[in-house]
Amino acid sequence: MIRGRLLVPFKALARRAVWGLAVLWVVATVTFLLLRAVPGGPFDSEKQLPPEIVANIEAKYHLDQPVWRQYLLYLGGLIRGDLGPSFKYVGRDVVDILAETFPVSLALGAVALLVAVVLGLTFGILAGERPGTWVDRGGMMLATAGVAVPNFVLGAVLVLVVSHRLHLLPPALWEGPRYLILPALTLGLGPAAYIARLTRSSLLDIARHECIRTAHAKGLSPRAVLFAHQLPNALMPVVTILGPLTAALVTGSFVVEYLFAIPGMGRFFITAVTNRDYPLIMGVTLLYAAVLVAANVVVDFAYAWLDPRVRIE
Amino acid sequence: MFGGLTVGSARRLLAVCLSIGVGACAASSTSPNTFRFVLSNEPPTLDWSLATDSVSITVIENLMDGLTRFDDDLKPVPSVAASWDVSGDGRVYRFHLRSDVRWTDGRPVTAGDFEYAWKRLLDPNTGAEYAYFLYPVANAKAYNTGKIADPAAVGVRALSPTELEVRLERPLVYFPSLTTFMVTFPQRRDLIERYGNQWTDPERLVTNGPFRLTDWRHEYRLTLAANPTYFGGRPALDRVVMYVVNERTTELTLYQTGDLDYAQLPPEAIPAFQGSPEHLRLPILRGYYAGFNVKKAPFTDPRVRRAFTLAIDREQFPKILRGGERAATSWVPPGMFGHDPSIGLPFDPDRARRLLAEAGYPDGRGLPPVEYVYNTGPVNTLIAENLQAQWKSHLGVSVTLDNLEWKVYLKRLQHDAPPLFRLGWGADYPDPDNFLALFTADSGNNHTGWANPRYDALVADAAAEADPARRAALYREAQRILTEEDVPIAPLFTHAQNILVKPWVRGLSLNAMEILSLQGVTLEAHGR
Repeated sequence: MIRGRLLVPFKALARRAVWGLAVLWVVATVTFLLLRAVPGGPFDSEKQLPPEIVANIEAKYHLDQPVWRQYLLYLGGLIRGDLGPSFKYVGRDVVDILAETFPVSLALGAVALLVAVVLGLTFGILAGERPGTWVDRGGMMLATAGVAVPNFVLGAVLVLVVSHRLHLLPPALWEGPRYLILPALTLGLGPAAYIARLTRSSLLDIARHECIRTAHAKGLSPRAVLFAHQLPNALMPVVTILGPLTAALVTGSFVVEYLFAIPGMGRFFITAVTNRDYPLIMGVTLLYAAVLVAANVVVDFAYAWLDPRVRIE
Repeated sequence: MFGGLTVGSARRLLAVCLSIGVGACAASSTSPNTFRFVLSNEPPTLDWSLATDSVSITVIENLMDGLTRFDDDLKPVPSVAASWDVSGDGRVYRFHLRSDVRWTDGRPVTAGDFEYAWKRLLDPNTGAEYAYFLYPVANAKAYNTGKIADPAAVGVRALSPTELEVRLERPLVYFPSLTTFMVTFPQRRDLIERYGNQWTDPERLVTNGPFRLTDWRHEYRLTLAANPTYFGGRPALDRVVMYVVNERTTELTLYQTGDLDYAQLPPEAIPAFQGSPEHLRLPILRGYYAGFNVKKAPFTDPRVRRAFTLAIDREQFPKILRGGERAATSWVPPGMFGHDPSIGLPFDPDRARRLLAEAGYPDGRGLPPVEYVYNTGPVNTLIAENLQAQWKSHLGVSVTLDNLEWKVYLKRLQHDAPPLFRLGWGADYPDPDNFLALFTADSGNNHTGWANPRYDALVADAAAEADPARRAALYREAQRILTEEDVPIAPLFTHAQNILVKPWVRGLSLNAMEILSLQGVTLEAHGR
């Protein structure tokens, strides 16, 4: 019996890993084909190249081969862990570019996630515990603003006030922990507001449920009801969005990296496309997909931990 | 992605993840004798055979010196070459190299290093975009295009460590201007063969210029240090720090908080710095034009092309762009040999309407639909909307606008150029040949479909004409055909650069080629 219980997660994990690989293969294939369908190639520039030189370059990067062969070459490389050379950054492999930039995005994204979860849950619980009070109304007004204000506006305002006016923190660059604060707030405050609203509304939903009334009737203190019964149930929707949110935050943000001159990988979601740097686009897309798949697996296991009715299969 | 990684590369990724984190700190920016500025992109490469963009050029120009360099008037003057001779027929150049020029590892720079670099540039396996730059050299094109396999046939040869002989396909008077450009800089065969395409890593890169590369944190910062053995004398700066900052407003903020000594001024911030002694403005050798596809109605008729050009009041562009642009009716930009502002079709709406009527479209009636296509961007949008309004009010013609993403746009120009389009051109070398050869019949940059043998002959003759007066006359005639008679393009304006420099910076030399040379820069004592 005990052995059986332990085996289930391993089996479930293995099954999800296989599914995850299948998802990555589909993502790789679709992305690969879409890239070949987009007009404009990596070596088009304002200064038109002689056709002979275009031929030299295309031969160097196997772009002169039929698409199916390029695809097989790419899949073969992928299996060996080789994502190919960047077309734009000469002499740099995509794996190296990701190895240099992903840790930066991961560090920043992790702090932003912390900001989002801590602030979001705190404000959500405070508001959901006292619906209709000034705490609730004030907090939810802030949260609405937080969801509505785009991060490039928020970032610019933070730089203007905190760096320009108050001289408290550096406006940009990446030289140490102090440089992390403004970009992490810019990245994390929006999701924090979203989590706060979600936590509040699901706390209020759960409050009307029979099990909570039973808990109150048993004579438990309001605090015990909140933390032992109400919150675990209310957290389910929050946990659900944490999967995609984590993937989005730790793979970097184009806007925040540009605004704060941070050497992360979020920029490549945009610049690799405008440069038609096919291998780099594939690399960031696959990394994002892998993080998303992994985060969703964690979320699935978290469900089971929070809610005994959920069985991992 | 992890699913596809091998254990080794996954471990590599993880190790870097753990070690970098946040703590990417460096004391480099705190040293007082450091010049700090911004690169608007990560340099795609520091291999000067493969680099093509202005950011890479900015870095390379401070690391390397070639046979010649530009003086302040953009004339080629001796650099690694102390002097050169030209044969009587103008086809053979012999460069005499200084013997005191050394690489940063102490080895002398030899003529053989130049020969190697040029042949590497032309080797088809290198895949160099700028290989065509050396096509004037004998057999260079044949070698680069695989028609001959033996590099020994290419017309560049080291006669001795200090003698470089170059044989040309045809006489070319501006050849010493070409040798100022980075793709002609010398290279070390031993290091490139040992390190492959990693030879430009900071710990391996060996250079011969005023600075050497000491650190390169990709997507973030390059650090250069003074080269104490530089043959032109050690620069006054100890260090140069170049941050990779893509966002212009962030660059401006860092300049204002004192984290930069020099910054590019974004157009929208120009009014705020009007009159500031820190704001410098300098015209650059970059032109902007509207092109006609002469294969598409109604622009098959040169009278219609002339009418559209005469209907443009170009003085409006500097007013709407506000960056120090200059209206231009001719194509060779000011500051370059051959510039003549009297050439071209000036604003004359009456004549424009008469010409359009002569062509059979009085007040624009009966004109087939005309589309102006441009690549997406704020400046291009302003210009496009302005042109549309001017053609409407001066000719009574309705032009529709469409914009495309840059690479999609380039593909469209190559395969099916719209009736009206826009493009720009920045000088590779400050010679009119660079601007006028664009519109010859066999130029890949000529998207107009226009071909005129007389024009092609004039441009070819001018390139070989040693007498400046006769050369200028040839270019005048070529420009008249291009911008007054056949009019496949309507030049609109030339650009300027707008920069901010802190008051403590001395000796900064800016030039119309937009090359930031830091060799002569000193910093006065100041409280940062």
